[in-house]
Amino acid sequence: MAQSFRVSDLTGIQVRPARLWTHSLSWILFVAGIALYAHFSILRHRENPEDRVIPSVTQLVQGLKSSVLEPAEEDDPLDPGASLIQQVRHSMIWKDTASSARRFFIALLLLVPAILIGLHMAVFPYAGAFFLRFVLFFDKIVALSLLPILFVVFGIDEWSKIMLMVIGVAPTLMLDSYNIASGVPKEQIVKAFTLKSSNLDVAYRIVLKQVLPQLINSVRLNLKPLALFLFAGEMIASTDGLAYRIAIMRRHMGMDIIIPYLLWVALLLFTLDALLRFTNRRLHPWYQPH
Amino acid sequence: MAKSGILKRWADKYGVVIKVQRFDYAASLDAFVAKNIDACTMTNMEALDMPAAAGVDSTVVIVGDYSNGNDAVLARNNVALAQLPGKPILLVQKTVSEYLLERAMVLNGLDNQLPRLKLLNTSDSDIVGAFLGDKSNQVAVTWKPLVSEILDQDRGVKSLFDSSRIPEEILDLLVVRTDVLKRPDGSGLKFAKAVAGAWYETVAQIAAANAQAISGSAAASGDSVASYKEQLRTTYLYSTPQAAAQFAQGSELKQKMDLVRQFCFRHGLLGQNVQSVDDVAVLYPDGAIQGLKDRVRLRVDASYMQLAAQGKL
Repeated sequence: MAQSFRVSDLTGIQVRPARLWTHSLSWILFVAGIALYAHFSILRHRENPEDRVIPSVTQLVQGLKSSVLEPAEEDDPLDPGASLIQQVRHSMIWKDTASSARRFFIALLLLVPAILIGLHMAVFPYAGAFFLRFVLFFDKIVALSLLPILFVVFGIDEWSKIMLMVIGVAPTLMLDSYNIASGVPKEQIVKAFTLKSSNLDVAYRIVLKQVLPQLINSVRLNLKPLALFLFAGEMIASTDGLAYRIAIMRRHMGMDIIIPYLLWVALLLFTLDALLRFTNRRLHPWYQPH
Repeated sequence: MAKSGILKRWADKYGVVIKVQRFDYAASLDAFVAKNIDACTMTNMEALDMPAAAGVDSTVVIVGDYSNGNDAVLARNNVALAQLPGKPILLVQKTVSEYLLERAMVLNGLDNQLPRLKLLNTSDSDIVGAFLGDKSNQVAVTWKPLVSEILDQDRGVKSLFDSSRIPEEILDLLVVRTDVLKRPDGSGLKFAKAVAGAWYETVAQIAAANAQAISGSAAASGDSVASYKEQLRTTYLYSTPQAAAQFAQGSELKQKMDLVRQFCFRHGLLGQNVQSVDDVAVLYPDGAIQGLKDRVRLRVDASYMQLAAQGKL
């Protein structure tokens, strides 16, 4: 039932905006941001046509093309007759994305045990007593300051960066899943025991099953700190990767490559988040957070 | 310079206000290119990469010194230069460290091995810890005081090559934006003269080993006096304006700058779309231009050093 729009609706709570409004309003900030960027870019280019600090659209497109079609400068150039697919496979952005993604997903895999430890901490009192205080303390250590130690222990290659990510995010995930799993009412657990379930049954078939959607949401929220640690590790010591390329480009003001890379990383993380959100909804349609 | 009041005195003499701000090196270059600051100290390589290649016309006002052993290629286990390809090398890529490494290979006839070098970009803040802590890292290229720290703490590490073998190639310069110098009210010229005057007065004191000057400078750069003196030992300071002016007007500067600009072009440091090394041209005091005439982005101006030499500042 369409209602007539009044200006006071903008500050109202009991309103139902028309679909047209909800869609178009959400794009306004994007448009405003792009307009602001374009304004400053044109201003700088008028003063100095070769400006690289705020690249123009042509410079950005050129940067995008060179990262998607041309191999990284440390690699050998391709044969001139290579097809488009081959060019993309050998391109700089493919190489960097592949190495960064490999580190990211290995770390994510290594974090699954952390979530399970948090679950055990909540359900098994001895596990809780053993882990809780230490994890609460360890969580407060700033992981980045451990990086020099990690370099010594794990070498300067892949593992130090992966362990930085794991050590940085594991305490948060442990504490979060501990809190979430503690929220399961104790009556359910007692009831399950009266129905002859074993300890492991209660932990995995009762508690884990019902808190899984919340755990997946917790992982979604921790994608950002995970990416942050990945970038920190790559910027400090690396031979390849998305943040490595950004650090190198920074040395000679290569903003025409940095900005596309930035947007590419944002797109990747956004897609991963959307994928997790979608999987969560499909697997657990019964989960209504209110 | 600022702390001891020398700069203020010179600034007052010329009626300008000079503010000295402390930045991290990379941040200072960013600020200079973004035109947030008017002048900056940098090496000749960065003078080409950053402002010149980004279209910000800059002028070299003072040639301060050259690295005469401050930058070095370090290796342990008696690894020789010929054995470098294939071993991961810790260095800060796209800086004078990579330039030094390349010159080391070329001067030893190993330039065909250059594409086989495996470079591991390591931030300067972590390179000491990473090299010393993990013995499997065999090669590093860095600068003093990090070089001194590494050599002191690990007897098995030797210097394979350092900048004393490539004199006059890694220069430290004071660079001012050309449009600041050309300001119609003349304040840019006054600024340049004031800074040049203060500079040579300070440098004279440091060269004369004036203890107060050295401890003041060391404190300002966050170093101990011993470490600062160690760096001074391997820095060739153009302590008299005559020496600096002579070098700036000579032909050796052109040769060395040519090596540097070829390096920058080969590594794409002049810009992604720059088609030839001549697209970023350098103008010398005698009017000679390296590169295309209408693409001059970096100018070397020996006039302030000359005025200082003649005592006319």
